[in-house]
Amino acid sequence: MAKQTSYFPELKRNWWLKHPYFKKYMAREATVLPLVFFLVCLLVGLFSLLQGAESWQGWLRFMQNPLVIAVNALAFIASLFHAWTFFQLFPRVMPLRVGGRALPPNLMVLGQWFGVVVVMILAAWIFMRGL
Amino acid sequence: MNKGTSLNNDTSENMKRSDEPIWWGLFSAGGVCFAVFVPAAILFIALLIPAGIIAPEALSFDRARSMLFSLPGLIFIGVVICLPLFHAAHRIRHGLHDLKLGKEHLNKRVTYGGAALLSALALVGFAVGIL
Repeated sequence: MAKQTSYFPELKRNWWLKHPYFKKYMAREATVLPLVFFLVCLLVGLFSLLQGAESWQGWLRFMQNPLVIAVNALAFIASLFHAWTFFQLFPRVMPLRVGGRALPPNLMVLGQWFGVVVVMILAAWIFMRGL
Repeated sequence: MNKGTSLNNDTSENMKRSDEPIWWGLFSAGGVCFAVFVPAAILFIALLIPAGIIAPEALSFDRARSMLFSLPGLIFIGVVICLPLFHAAHRIRHGLHDLKLGKEHLNKRVTYGGAALLSALALVGFAVGIL
């Protein structure tokens, strides 16, 4: 194979700091970091539930730690930010047509937010019934 | 497949089928779950109940056990823990690439391997719980 003679500019590690669009892209990538924290919390909760009532109480107290609540609050905001970016992709990846007319993208995004609200109401019913 | 029409016969026969569609599919499915189901899970389990806005009895030991170790509990583990784990793994893998950290084949093993390991732990915990 011939030796590469073309010029390839080297990409620096901080390339994404140079444009607001790339910063937003990296922020979206970073939404999974607090998510992983929350998921690990859930896994620890699952195993403390297996170890008995005392261990479960310990997990509930751990979840009340202000620092844990703060990171989980960040995870909540991150999940909504992710949802906001993710819902905009759906009309582009899979445009829907109803009765020969293209469904307006805004309506599809709105429909997905409606889904989030329905899940929240369902969760409220699951956690608060009988209290 | 149609060997005769292939432009580069020598490589097409040896070409391995890419595993990317699997990771991409898990990433997309996890992205939907992260956007639709995870916000409600964080809001109730990690914010409203620990902050005392909803009575802690909502997650009492007996209640938590009967909720988690059931068919809805298994669905919860799938859509709130396992699929978002693979979504996170995909974003972390590509985030590391963007930051020029680590080696691609190793990053891939560590991120997806980690997601698979934690998912397996969750499912084992569930199996122990229902037995």
